[in-house]
Amino acid sequence: MDFDMGKRAGDLRRELRELVAEHVPEHFLGAFTHDPADLETAQRFCRTLAERNLLCLAWPQEFGGGDASVWEQTVVREEMWAAHEPRGAQYMGVNWVGPIIMRHGSAEQQRRHLPPIAAGEVIWCQGFSEPEAGSDLASLRTFARPDKDGWLVSGQKIWTSYATMAQWCFLLARTSRIGEGATTKKQQGLTIFLVPMDDPAITVRPIGTMLGPHHLNEVFFDDLRVTEADVLGTVDAGWSIVQDVMSFERVGIARYARCERLLAAAPAVLGERWDELSDELRGRWIRMLMHCRRARLLAYRVVALQDSGRVTPGDAAAYRIAVTKLDQDSAEVLMDVAAEVRRTDARAGWFLGEVEDHWRYSQASTVSSGSIEMQRILLSRAMLAGRS
Amino acid sequence: MILELSDDALEYGRQARQAFDAAGGDELVLQAEKAPGARESLVGPVLAGLGAWELDPRSDADGVEAAAALCRAAGYWAVPYPLAERLAAPTDLDADGVIVVGGERPAAAVAGLDLRWATVDVAGNRAMVSGHGEIQPGFVTELELSSVDDAGSGDVALALTLPCWTLLGMLDRAIELTVAHVTLRKQFGQPLASFQGVQFQLTDAEVERSGLDILAKHALWSATGNRPDAIADALALRLAAIEAADVVFRVCHQLHGAVGFCDETTLSWLSRHSQPLRRLPFGLSATREELADVAGRRGLAGLFA
Repeated sequence: MDFDMGKRAGDLRRELRELVAEHVPEHFLGAFTHDPADLETAQRFCRTLAERNLLCLAWPQEFGGGDASVWEQTVVREEMWAAHEPRGAQYMGVNWVGPIIMRHGSAEQQRRHLPPIAAGEVIWCQGFSEPEAGSDLASLRTFARPDKDGWLVSGQKIWTSYATMAQWCFLLARTSRIGEGATTKKQQGLTIFLVPMDDPAITVRPIGTMLGPHHLNEVFFDDLRVTEADVLGTVDAGWSIVQDVMSFERVGIARYARCERLLAAAPAVLGERWDELSDELRGRWIRMLMHCRRARLLAYRVVALQDSGRVTPGDAAAYRIAVTKLDQDSAEVLMDVAAEVRRTDARAGWFLGEVEDHWRYSQASTVSSGSIEMQRILLSRAMLAGRS
Repeated sequence: MILELSDDALEYGRQARQAFDAAGGDELVLQAEKAPGARESLVGPVLAGLGAWELDPRSDADGVEAAAALCRAAGYWAVPYPLAERLAAPTDLDADGVIVVGGERPAAAVAGLDLRWATVDVAGNRAMVSGHGEIQPGFVTELELSSVDDAGSGDVALALTLPCWTLLGMLDRAIELTVAHVTLRKQFGQPLASFQGVQFQLTDAEVERSGLDILAKHALWSATGNRPDAIADALALRLAAIEAADVVFRVCHQLHGAVGFCDETTLSWLSRHSQPLRRLPFGLSATREELADVAGRRGLAGLFA
């Protein structure tokens, strides 16, 4: 066995940390705050990464990427999430929109969409969830009815991150109702459309949340005209692309990296008073570092299994359950530590801001990108498979 | 990154599981309960047949992986023998095995065996066992110690790590038994497994088991390479192992219902014999304190330390 990622991964980690230290202010808490300077920081940082061929490191060389190993990709996920994702909304385009267009898009779609994603110049949003279709996504109601040489799309999406700033939407809509043609179940008759967000038939309404601005929005489609050229893949066969999108989310964001960064920083913030903390609190702190390691190694196992083509939904689900619970458990321990911080401590402002942000964001971790209940269903199915 | 045991070690573990099965399987622990003094004659020949004492886990990377796989197989059958302690024997003492000790009243599950035991505490203080007390549940006996030296820090990590592999094997079995039970047992006209409340409890257990699985591999790698953090890594593993065992056995007992407590049910024996591994040399809180002391302000080696 060997748990060392190797020199190339180590060098990349150092390079990314140096870039973050140079280009991202210490108090940066993500691109989506009430301060427009944070969004500008993310945009600049994306250009910096793109110039160094680091933005699309994971992409194949034929599409302008760096053919990075899965471990180098893991390093990027960890370092970016630990630093509050200074790529802003770009991570979505880079991580899965681009690769999905590589797999399923036409030559024209690839020519049109991949270069701006690779250059960090375009923001995408994902039009999946609806008021009546969250975990049960295939029950969505947004409908594309045939009209002339295309369709008119009407319906509502919700919880759509970055919709206020996105130029493009990766939209899932129903094109055939159950009972029509070959559509016999709800996973059939669905189609992916790539649509521009500046169309007047689209209305975005931000939803105020405890997570900060831009995270959640409603998006309304009122007879949005789309054509065959906007279809990704095949009409009525969008569900297989959705499954493909989900496979990119199996490892997902490296939540454990930010948990570990904050936990590791705590003793230095408290200085000598760290040693005066109760044994109980320091015990909870070290326990949480163990749980960070556990989640990180479970992520590595999923990465390794995925790389060898042997990953199962159960493996990925076990990791997702562990890491989302870690997010919340570590936030509670950090809140407890933060209560011991004095405002006069050297980095008190930074630490308290980080902990508050982490706590708020962690509340959503068991809900977003596949709820913990869905992960439990996937894992229990894997455990009980073949036994019914 | 290589995150799995070698194919050879995995195959050795499979063969060991079959050998324990052929030697009596679940009957081994029942027979040992009736006659603790017969443990050596019950289990010793199987281990000798598997070549357990030819393994060299202290200096051979292949040997340590095989030893871990063997301990896991033994845990699966709750084999009534201090296998991990024997495999972790130090090379520079005239001893058949090493026991990590802690607390005011050192004890270990070594009753009924005529073997020469060394002990070591987390600080590296070593002793030889010079006597022991009455036999307690789980073949546990309190130990009388005669001090030897303080040169045992290199003995600690592996001696803490291998018993966690035994416990991992017990969790493998407990979950396997429980999945089988909830699939067969019907209530309200349907298998227990069809109830989401049951399914979700199973996932709680499996997340703990799979987390322990990967941490056990990490700690083994750390101990094998004599890494500076090996003792902290082993203590972190032990903390995870006790937490996992608490969750897994609670879930498995709950889903078995009353039958899970019965002598005729394997889970009850696994559960009973997991106890010494969970509370010796120190329990959950004391393990956490030991880890906090060893790790200090730096915490565990990782992305930011």
